[in-house]
Amino acid sequence: MTMASIRKLEWKVGGQQGEGIDSTGEIMTKTLFRYGYYVTTYKQFMSRIKGGHTNYKLRATQEPTRHAGDDVDILIALDEETLTVNRSELVPGAIVIMEGKDVNITHVEDYILATFPLKAIATALGNPLAKNMVALGMTGALISLPVEEFYTFIEEQFAKKGKAVIDSNKAAVDKGYALVQEHLKDRVKTLEAVPRNPDRLYISGNEATAFGSFMAGCRFLSAYPITPASEIMEWMSAHLPAVGGTIMQVEDEIAGITFAIGASFAGARAMTSTSGPGLSLKTEAFGLAALSETPIVIVDSQRAGPSTGLPTKHEQSDLYHMLFGTHGEIPRIVLYPSSIEDAFYVAAEAFNLAEMYQCPVFVALDLALSMNRTTTPRIDATRVAINRGKIVTPEEAEKYGEFIFKRYRFTEDGISPRALPGNPYGVHTTSSNEHGEDGYITEDPEIRTKIMQKRLGKIKSARLSRPYYVVDGDAPVVLVGVGSVRGVIEEVKARLAEEGIHVGGLFIQQLHPLPVEEIQSYVTGKTVITVENNYYGQLLNWLKMHFPIHASSHSITQYDGNPFKIGRVYHEVKELLEHVRRTQKTHA
Amino acid sequence: MSVELKKPTLKDFKGDTSTWCPGCGHFSVMAGLQRALVNLGIHPHEVITVTGIGCSSKISEYTRTYGFHTIHGRALPVAQGAKMAAPEMHVIAAGGDGDGYGIGAGHFVHAVRRNIDLTYLVMDNSIYGLTKGQTSPRSQHDFVSKTTLKGNKEYPLDALSIALANGATFVAQAFSGDVKRMSELIEKAIQHKGFSLVNIFSPCVTYNKVNTYDYYRDHLVTIDEPLPTREEAIRVLKEHDGNVQGLLFVEERDDFQKQLGIDWKMRDVQNGPMDEAMIRALEKEFM
Repeated sequence: MTMASIRKLEWKVGGQQGEGIDSTGEIMTKTLFRYGYYVTTYKQFMSRIKGGHTNYKLRATQEPTRHAGDDVDILIALDEETLTVNRSELVPGAIVIMEGKDVNITHVEDYILATFPLKAIATALGNPLAKNMVALGMTGALISLPVEEFYTFIEEQFAKKGKAVIDSNKAAVDKGYALVQEHLKDRVKTLEAVPRNPDRLYISGNEATAFGSFMAGCRFLSAYPITPASEIMEWMSAHLPAVGGTIMQVEDEIAGITFAIGASFAGARAMTSTSGPGLSLKTEAFGLAALSETPIVIVDSQRAGPSTGLPTKHEQSDLYHMLFGTHGEIPRIVLYPSSIEDAFYVAAEAFNLAEMYQCPVFVALDLALSMNRTTTPRIDATRVAINRGKIVTPEEAEKYGEFIFKRYRFTEDGISPRALPGNPYGVHTTSSNEHGEDGYITEDPEIRTKIMQKRLGKIKSARLSRPYYVVDGDAPVVLVGVGSVRGVIEEVKARLAEEGIHVGGLFIQQLHPLPVEEIQSYVTGKTVITVENNYYGQLLNWLKMHFPIHASSHSITQYDGNPFKIGRVYHEVKELLEHVRRTQKTHA
Repeated sequence: MSVELKKPTLKDFKGDTSTWCPGCGHFSVMAGLQRALVNLGIHPHEVITVTGIGCSSKISEYTRTYGFHTIHGRALPVAQGAKMAAPEMHVIAAGGDGDGYGIGAGHFVHAVRRNIDLTYLVMDNSIYGLTKGQTSPRSQHDFVSKTTLKGNKEYPLDALSIALANGATFVAQAFSGDVKRMSELIEKAIQHKGFSLVNIFSPCVTYNKVNTYDYYRDHLVTIDEPLPTREEAIRVLKEHDGNVQGLLFVEERDDFQKQLGIDWKMRDVQNGPMDEAMIRALEKEFM
């Protein structure tokens, strides 16, 4: 019998929270990442510490992807609920390894259900905690992965815990391999070996955002813990002190943004990170940053709202809030990286834009983008250079010869030179009240009008170096998405292309100011299909405010707390295309 | 950068023209603050003054320093953030009792226990003045205003005891009618390493007809020496219904930033390429 060779693996482990599902998934994923595969992941979890179903999905492929996939080839079910919840994802011929009383291999419908007393087996080996390692060993055996791949990882992972722990974990993995040989030999396949490539990273959107911010010179982050944004604060907490900065976990979300505004006023590159509920609380301070023209970067890792909503679930429903939130009218820049790779660069550039345009800059993420790790290329250090904007030195400030430095000086581009505290020639007052050039409060209608025009007009030219990505932009139908949805659209587009159907793909990374001139040829008069995780079709409506798009335009929406499945979007796009075709025929 | 500077004078601190009512207690607070800075030889460019919203918060416009007139109740978080970024600056936070003990009360408690080195001046007139005379968190019981027509049924917030109970390292109270003493207290507060609170009775001559200059002259008891313990300070406050002036309590303790022990370099980020060697080093975490 020849072993079937496979080119990809979709694998899932599930059980109760607190059973080590996350770390089991991480070990499997990182092992295949190092084996040379591209990996994408998705973690599903609940808003509680222990108990409740949780799972970790891995998709390992030979080509890069940005979606964790719809299917499951191998499911590790540490309880029966895992099978019930994830049954619909099993492909024909899938193997389910489930915790059970006895060893029992049965065919159920079109999959194999293999129960093993995993906990008892691990206990017999002297380490009940290693039951997940037995399951990992079984996975390795089922795809003919050399067992040494796990050993390396185990040695690294448990280095601090000593030889006994390392040995017991290795033994558990070995046992998994042996069990497959004994009971599931005829199900063994071979995951093709691919060249290892050390020039890749395995990183999450939150990590990439923090890393990018750090490299851009962000030295102060103040925030309040909130899912799914906390990892940004945690990463920065570990790294900032070494470069003379710090994070501050402050008393509330309002302090999160206002501490950062204070630090920025004093001259540091500063940020706050949060999710929807926190963004709501910070909203008044958007205006403070905007009116005082103080740079600030606000990361919103979106989750399902409103109110507490589904606090551990995915959504893209804060677009309106970032685009319109706060009273009055303010200059703002709203960015949304369309991949984990881009999160690094977008975050880094956000600090440049904030200082160059002296206004709040939002970096939108979503839970799928934030919390899941994937393979990305290594960082291109040349893509972003630090630009601190118009900060005047004492020598420059002295030339103005002003007792009160005109912080809000009228200039051609609407951006005024900024003197930082400590500069002997730049003393001035900054105010959240309307003010004149000197920063002093005024209610003069003429000055008000002029300074509003300066402030709101200054951001027009603000551009991210890659404000959007477009593929096949000349197609009459274009799929548009932001953030993690890019992954779905790319796969749907590829599937359609295989059938000879060509649609465009547009992934917008700068939502405000929208690069209208640059993207108009891709959307004006076209059938625009946005794919977005919200109810209202916020992205489509935002585009409608800027472009005369075709009446057949539509948004495919989903707001159940989960990211899109590729298959679902594929079918809906096909139906829409069919509908458009029929309508056009009728008109013709 | 080293710049030769003359000794600061009161003239250096002159900011925008005030819009306070004639006789307002805040004039004295401003005079007290400016005199304290001059006495300490501190220049305007070495000071950040962060204020909230209200009549008193306009002090950041009227006193020439690096001023930041923020939003209601948020002077303290903005001020603390500024100090974190620029520890070499003297940071003054200022505002009224509504700003600090009402809408900003949450920040106040945490600023106290955090003990970042800054001075917080609360200009306490026990009324909302800028919104034209509503009851404040410091208004007395049964105080009558447009929003408490039958008298205030809440009791005034005892901000000083809150501060003392939560580990404040410098707690003082002053009075606009005694500028000399007030200025000395502000001087001490600025010199104190850590969070220093100076609550200043600063009468609103337009809207508060109860807590007037005469009221304080009649009621205030002067404390000449700080009390030995927090408990004692709280007891004395209770004994005199809060009507004391002077330095109530002081304690030397490492401030927040000193405890962190970081070599502060937040403001040093320069234009230019990102540090590639650092990128390569950090990438190892993700491989």
